[in-house]
Amino acid sequence: MAVAETIRETPEPEEAATFREFHEIPESPPPALRYRRGLHFIHAMKELWHNRHTMFNLGFREIRVQYNQAILGLAWAVLTPVVQMVVFTVFFKNFAGIKVQTHGVSYPVFLYTGLLAWGFFSSATTSAGQVLVSNPLLNKIYAPREVFPLATIGTSAFNSVISTLVLAFLCVMYQDWLQPEAIWVPLLLLVLVGFTVGVGLIVSALTVYLRDLRQALPLLLQVGLFVSSVVVGIDTIPARWRGLYCFLDPPAMVIDALRQTALYGNQPNLTYLGLSSVSTVIVLVGGYLLFKQLETGFADVS
Amino acid sequence: MSAEGSVAVNHVWKRFRKDRGRRLLRDHLSRAVQVGRKKTKNPWRWVLRDIDFKVEPGESVAIVGVNGSGKSTLLKIVAGVMFPHTGRVDTEGRIGALIEVMSGIHQDLTGRENVLVYATLLGLSRKQVADRFDQIVEFAEVEDAIDRQVKFYSSGMKMRIGFSIAAFLEPSILIVDEVLAVGDASFQQKCLNRMAEVTKSGATLLLVSHDLAAAAATARRGIWLENSIMRADGPVDQVLGMYRTSIEEHAAMGAQTQGPVRVTDVRVAGEGSSLVSTNAPCTIELDVESQEMFPTNFYLGVSEGAPTPIFVVRREVVLQPGMTRLRLELPRLPLPSGKFYLWGGAYKTISRIELMPWHPITQLPVIGRHRLDPTPNAIVRLSPVFVESSWTVDRLETTGPSQG
Repeated sequence: MAVAETIRETPEPEEAATFREFHEIPESPPPALRYRRGLHFIHAMKELWHNRHTMFNLGFREIRVQYNQAILGLAWAVLTPVVQMVVFTVFFKNFAGIKVQTHGVSYPVFLYTGLLAWGFFSSATTSAGQVLVSNPLLNKIYAPREVFPLATIGTSAFNSVISTLVLAFLCVMYQDWLQPEAIWVPLLLLVLVGFTVGVGLIVSALTVYLRDLRQALPLLLQVGLFVSSVVVGIDTIPARWRGLYCFLDPPAMVIDALRQTALYGNQPNLTYLGLSSVSTVIVLVGGYLLFKQLETGFADVS
Repeated sequence: MSAEGSVAVNHVWKRFRKDRGRRLLRDHLSRAVQVGRKKTKNPWRWVLRDIDFKVEPGESVAIVGVNGSGKSTLLKIVAGVMFPHTGRVDTEGRIGALIEVMSGIHQDLTGRENVLVYATLLGLSRKQVADRFDQIVEFAEVEDAIDRQVKFYSSGMKMRIGFSIAAFLEPSILIVDEVLAVGDASFQQKCLNRMAEVTKSGATLLLVSHDLAAAAATARRGIWLENSIMRADGPVDQVLGMYRTSIEEHAAMGAQTQGPVRVTDVRVAGEGSSLVSTNAPCTIELDVESQEMFPTNFYLGVSEGAPTPIFVVRREVVLQPGMTRLRLELPRLPLPSGKFYLWGGAYKTISRIELMPWHPITQLPVIGRHRLDPTPNAIVRLSPVFVESSWTVDRLETTGPSQG
């Protein structure tokens, strides 16, 4: 009898489970329900703005990691362009025998300006190429995917700003003062950043599907360093090709125009600036559209 | 607009490429060449087909199924990191996902930095992180190591800190994918308690687990995925029951009966009928065929579906060539009503060579009015054993208000 007290009545199930057999499921999905993500520009921008903190925090984390694990910390941002500058200067002075037209500016200052701009483009593109491949955070953060390349480009920009301190030091050392035409610099940097973001979006999206782009990229950027008048200036390009050159290689235009304005005190060539701006807009918009197009598949392959 | 914490999965289909291998330039090239040469067969494979369900705010749902049935993909689509091929998913409110909790932790940052940075990445404001920092660290039990780089943590510590950060997000939808597989028993229990707390505060819970007992204890509703479709949806006990049955059937199909010893017939009987019931006598008769003379350890066990039995009985017996009849009597069957399975295996006594593999022999439905008492919320349910018990409650005399 004592046992009976401890026994509980089996309660009636509240509801029955629904059960489905395999043959009840159609072979293929109804085409009408196909998932299509409409791309509304305003909406996408709002979403991006909404996730600005995520972007900032991603960049912040990257900078933090970068300077935590390295012994030299912040110095690494500066070291790469400085070493490049020293190597190129020594090499050109003593061995190459090429007379670089620097319009009266000392070669280290001339070179370092180019290295800064190119260094930003190059490091931003490289890191954007890796950010969507085997990134554990991809499966955790529900922000639009472009925050990843944008954050890493922001990190590169931060590093470049740090490296700019060396330019100030060089200017003092060689007594090359910035000209008042440096007022153009923000506009030029805008073109550079716009182009970098466009390329960064393209590269990050394509690397997901084409893994060997990661190997190819450093090579292309190495070639680009020499093609983009970083080392020897735009004067080596025949004048009639320069328009096309600036259209195809906006960083080269920016590098030249930075020197023209801030170092030589000239007005920038507005035709070249215009051509570069047009191609920058094309790359930026095209890159964004391509990125958004491929975005839905990232999680499936990476 | 639906309420905060609701999840609506609407006829979702998802497919992957069959050849998810390398993505190098030459792979693309060789594929392009192949397309020209001959029509390649369908390169896609459906991983989710017509998944359709709605979860109301505050519901707790366990998603079960064998490996590769599409559970994790479904969770990723709900979490919004993966996109469906067909159909759509609508969620309301912040999603907190405990998926691969360790991978969001950065090795080169200290524990403190990880908590600060990772929690803000997952959507908390700096103020919120600061408010919860102590709780997170205390929960993870890493107070002493908080300023050490995470790469010097033990893997248990990494896991704990990853879980803690995610657990204190206070999301309106909590998605949990097999996090209980790691960590020691006491931390697992803590995680379960934390999950229960989160659901109690009104959050919706989606849980994927192979630990069916934990799933049954945590969730009220179950969804069973098999072979990329949703087989069952309903009260968790019923759904888990169906899932267990299916595992058992698969195991029975896969069981080999070609060994030197095999069971040819089995009869289960209760008291006066062929049905067995709780706390009543039970007789199991086995006809065993042996090819040679074997000194044998013969095992019989009862399980809920998985190979892990609830109890096992063993008998040393010398099997002679030909048929042997084994008769097992259990005076009181300690099982509540439900669906159980009889498993058996035979091994040589000294060398332990397998004569008959451990495999399910027959179903063992137990009838009766005895159901298990429910466990306290979110405590891992043990194997269901019916234990006869009687309680006495004596009111001790109270002498007014307690001394203070």
